[in-house]
Amino acid sequence: MRRERSRTNRPPRRSIVARTDADDEVLGRAFDRRLIARLWQTTRPHRRLVVAGMLLFPVVAAVELLQPWLVKVAIDEHILRADWAGLATIAGFYLATLAALYALHTVESYLMHLTGQRVMHDLRAALFERLLALDARFFDRNPVGRLMTRVLNDVEAVNDAFTGGLFAVVADVVTLAGVVAIMLWMDWRLALVTFSIVPALLVAAAYFRVRSRDAYREVRRRLARLNGFLQESLQGMSVIQLFARERHEHASFRRLNGDYRRALFGSTMFEASLYASVEALGSVALALLVWYGGSQIASGGLTFGALVAFMQYTHRFFLPIRDLGAKYAVMQAAMASSERIFGLLEVRPAIVSPASPSIARPTAGTPALEFRGVWFAYEGEDWVLRDCSFQVARGEHVAIVGATGEGKTTCARLLNRSYDVVRGQVLVDGVDVREWDLERLRRHVGIVFQDTLLFTGTVEANLRLGADGTVSSADLDRAVKLANARTFIESLPRGLGEELGERGHNVSQGQRQLLAIARALVYNPAVLILDEATSSVDPGSERLIQEAMRELVAGRTTVTIAHRLATIQGADRMLVLHRGRVHEEGTHQTLLRAGGLYAKLYELSMGARTA
Amino acid sequence: MGGVLCLAIATLASLGIPWTVKRAVEALETDAANAALGVFVGSILGLAAINAAARLGSRLAMIGAAQRVEADIRDDLYASLTRFPPALFTRYPTGDLMARATSDVSGVKTVVGFGGVSMIQTTFAFVGAIAAMVVVDPWLTLWAMLPFPAMILLARRFTSLVHERTEAMQGQLGVLSGRVQEHLAGMSVVRAYAMEGQARETFGQASAAYLRHALALSRIQAQFTPLMSLIAGVGTLVVLWAGGLAVVEGRITLGSLVAFNGYLAYLAWPTLALGWTLSMVRRGLTSMGRIQEVVEAVPDVERTEASRRVPRGGPAPRSRALAFRGLAFTYGDRAPALVDVTFEVGEGEVVAVVGPTGSGKSTLGLLLVRLWDPPIGTVFVGGQDVTAMDLATLRGDVAYVPQESFLFSRSIQDNVTLARPDVDQVEAKQAIVLAGVAEEIEGLPRGLDTVVGERGLTLSGGQRQRVALARALAGEAPILVLDDVFANVDAAKEEEILGNLAGALHGRTVLLTTHRLRAARAADRIVVLDAGRVVETGTHDALIERGGLYARLWRIQQLEEEIAHAP
Ligand SMILES: Nc1ncnc2c1ncn2[C@@H]1O[C@H](COP(=O)(O)OP(=O)(O)OP(=O)(O)O)[C@@H](O)[C@H]1O
Ligand SMILES: Nc1ncnc2c1ncn2[C@@H]1O[C@H](COP(=O)(O)OP(=O)(O)OP(=O)(O)O)[C@@H](O)[C@H]1O
Ligand SMILES: [Mg+2]
Ligand SMILES: [Mg+2]
Repeated sequence: MRRERSRTNRPPRRSIVARTDADDEVLGRAFDRRLIARLWQTTRPHRRLVVAGMLLFPVVAAVELLQPWLVKVAIDEHILRADWAGLATIAGFYLATLAALYALHTVESYLMHLTGQRVMHDLRAALFERLLALDARFFDRNPVGRLMTRVLNDVEAVNDAFTGGLFAVVADVVTLAGVVAIMLWMDWRLALVTFSIVPALLVAAAYFRVRSRDAYREVRRRLARLNGFLQESLQGMSVIQLFARERHEHASFRRLNGDYRRALFGSTMFEASLYASVEALGSVALALLVWYGGSQIASGGLTFGALVAFMQYTHRFFLPIRDLGAKYAVMQAAMASSERIFGLLEVRPAIVSPASPSIARPTAGTPALEFRGVWFAYEGEDWVLRDCSFQVARGEHVAIVGATGEGKTTCARLLNRSYDVVRGQVLVDGVDVREWDLERLRRHVGIVFQDTLLFTGTVEANLRLGADGTVSSADLDRAVKLANARTFIESLPRGLGEELGERGHNVSQGQRQLLAIARALVYNPAVLILDEATSSVDPGSERLIQEAMRELVAGRTTVTIAHRLATIQGADRMLVLHRGRVHEEGTHQTLLRAGGLYAKLYELSMGARTA
Repeated sequence: MGGVLCLAIATLASLGIPWTVKRAVEALETDAANAALGVFVGSILGLAAINAAARLGSRLAMIGAAQRVEADIRDDLYASLTRFPPALFTRYPTGDLMARATSDVSGVKTVVGFGGVSMIQTTFAFVGAIAAMVVVDPWLTLWAMLPFPAMILLARRFTSLVHERTEAMQGQLGVLSGRVQEHLAGMSVVRAYAMEGQARETFGQASAAYLRHALALSRIQAQFTPLMSLIAGVGTLVVLWAGGLAVVEGRITLGSLVAFNGYLAYLAWPTLALGWTLSMVRRGLTSMGRIQEVVEAVPDVERTEASRRVPRGGPAPRSRALAFRGLAFTYGDRAPALVDVTFEVGEGEVVAVVGPTGSGKSTLGLLLVRLWDPPIGTVFVGGQDVTAMDLATLRGDVAYVPQESFLFSRSIQDNVTLARPDVDQVEAKQAIVLAGVAEEIEGLPRGLDTVVGERGLTLSGGQRQRVALARALAGEAPILVLDDVFANVDAAKEEEILGNLAGALHGRTVLLTTHRLRAARAADRIVVLDAGRVVETGTHDALIERGGLYARLWRIQQLEEEIAHAP
């Protein structure tokens, strides 16, 4: 009874894993101008903090660079001249610079963290907001684990960019500029001798940069795989345990873990090499100073104090450069992360409210729900619904039946615009759902899903989900009673205040369904869709719910999807879904008499009974 | 240990450099014209080369080792997660565990890697530099070291603060991560109930709380490093002053003072590093504690008295009978889920368990496969107490299909075989046919190779349920426990599957939980649970005769069908 699919010219379905892996392999350049510009924009609300931080950099650098200068003066003008009193003054100045540096560094560092954390907070909120707006199709393609990585880990990497990369680099550049200026001013020849090392430095940096970039790409890819695997293992752990697959899964994990470690080591190697070579070059510069400076002293062209100060300045010149490798790695990580973050922020939700939504003004004859020649496929040309049309009148109770996998749940999803039709129209109260304001539509059409999903939090919080604050506890009580969930809730130690676990796993499956029904009743939509809402509920409770429904259904448009034909007898009309369209429709009796598909389905199930 | 040796060499070499500079300056002081500058320059270059090579070696060795440690920690964590019973997943939600496995593990890595290197490096640097300084001038060294005790006291106070605040922050990260995970996984409900506003709010609160905790940590961290360098700077100041005086009085040479200054400058970096190293180590230890907590959470559940008595993997008789004897079970502070449950399922027998929602049917299955641990001496498989059985053996004997189907985002084929050695492609295919889902899978563009979405969400509800069923049917487990596996299929399909099973499962013991009394009717015996108690047992006919709960439920289903049947 499988609908045929158009097998010709179908693009091969790409694997979900492959698709999203590629996303994690996006690799930023460490200093991508476009990205830095975007990052800079994210700081706009905190511009004052950033500006304050930036203003501090030159001050900090100046005070820092004053210190070797003070040492030079102390040696040349006081110590060598045995000027004890003058030395005390210099020492006083030195103490002042120390105190100032303490204060400045503390403020600077806190400003950096503050900016980083605030930007991170904003980005998290923006990402979450965007995810809330994205449509079901997007979530079909992007596993939760990956998206969580965006909201939590990638954002963290951007914070590192602020605290350990971007600002540090700016601060270093300011310091370097200061060092260079002072050295040139003190003795330009000696300064040039020191700087003669710079070309070698650049060559080393360029070489390692290219190498570390490749290594880094590998690290990212491995880590993404590792975390994706872990996340899924956590959710399916009981299945792994049940089939005693622990060892096997563990072996797969170990393999991924080992791959990651090796990749990481590769990138460490380049970073360590850069560090060591910069340090070595620093010593070469020192040697040059001794050699050239020494001969200058011999010829009387240089003072001892100046030479000592020069050595200290050279030291400070190389200090920031030496850690360049580490900063580079931080920046690279940050850029790769921002690329993905901004990439996600730029994803346009395919399903949004129209700019000027129409307000439905149904007249007496307008059907509450209507499918008009609907074609729908989740993927390419794999049609699930093909030219499907039906109407549901206001206040009518309609049942949708059909074999499994025929597209019943899909119909429900189209009604609340989780997906958009490919061709044709879905109308609610005579207005195309694409012209409805989304939130209005979803308040109008409420669905109890086949997959019951509760959230952590109290039972009451779960029942009030999405309902505006106006729901009185009497309404809540009534819904609980109608859903036949009252005895069960009362049996919980804390009643409505009982805390539910992840996905509601600490109550039984049937109890979850009862809560989901109660939740929909509290939500109180004009159109109620029940998709296998009582599939795991015992006949006794189901019976009670059905009776309650009668009261509920009165005046409300209701669509019930159920496999057990016996449970949908209350419906006014049946729609039989077959091969992607409504194959037959009518009341139970007319359909039975017509002797079509429905009659056959029915007979099969009755036959099963008497077998 | 090669790493430490390299580090020692590197430290010596790098300490030699200021020493050489000192000698050069002294030579210049005494006789500038004839100083043998070439020798000094040469030795500086030589020392630099040794330093670079040794430092590179040490870093690679030590960071490499640290990365190994990291990998091992992650591996251990995973290993203990595979032994996590559901009870623990209640205590540690997925989001929280992910936070531990990513953020905390990387915190630990930083400690063992950079933290380790920088600890050892700092120690060497201090020891070496102080020794060198003592050689130059003991008195001056004493002066220079004056501020260091203050540093140590400060560091202690500081690390305990870092610990507290890190713990708070990481805890909140777990909460945040849980919120994100849950909302993303439940997006269909979020959407359908237009609860974006609510979601935004709960997320916003968690995120803001995290921001607060992180800033609290930043506040002390921001202060610490500058404070350390302030104290270290005071050392330089003292040397400048006292040393200057000494030079003036001719007690030491200018070269010594320069070298001294060189050593202090050399110490400036390790001192700074000490600040963040200490804070990193403290954070890392906190993270390590959080990981350890999870790793150690397992045994208290797993090591029941009974399982210790039995050698793991010992031979178990593959008998197929099941028995529950006086089984009582309660989840936490809830009302008892099972009370004094006693019944047996003989070899090759098919027993159905029915009863109202929440009457404890699923709990029976969970205890049988020990996803939850039953009390000792209450649940038996093949005459053996399950709590005394090796888990792998038990689960090899009992194939259990949970009520909620879970598929991995892998191909359908892989989902069915789960890479079990005893399940090959052919068997998987057979199982899929038995589960009545073969036709539909063939209809998918890539058939068995179709990769399904997370949790199997790109399949329809009924398809997912039957793939999960196929998974249990493949393989040779002599005992099958099927929990409500027909909930999402129509009566005809149910009948088809039951028919398939009757033929294929001949001789297997089956415990079938269901709300479809038609399916129960075919069973050899029916056990009726109500509020955790066995209220009646017997064949369908006997139970109808008896006129109890089962008869009432049956009548309800009958009635519905008759109403439907009525012309
Ligand atoms: N998110 C999705 N992405 C791709 N294909 C999907 C997705 N959801 C469902 N399908 C496919 O679309 C078809 C119709 O699915 P749907 O869930 O609408 O069936 P159903 O009639 O509700 O079945 P059931 O009775 O088993 O719940 C199935 O073949 C299913 O595999
Ligand atoms: N993890 C848990 N923590 C606490 N209580 C639980 C947990 N799982 C189940 N319960 C409670 O134990 C009782 C028995 O649950 P169980 O899942 O065994 O019922 P069931 O008979 O399978 O119900 P259903 O027909 O709805 O599947 C219920 O009251 C339920 O709320
Ligand atoms: Mg469905
Ligand atoms: Mg159950």
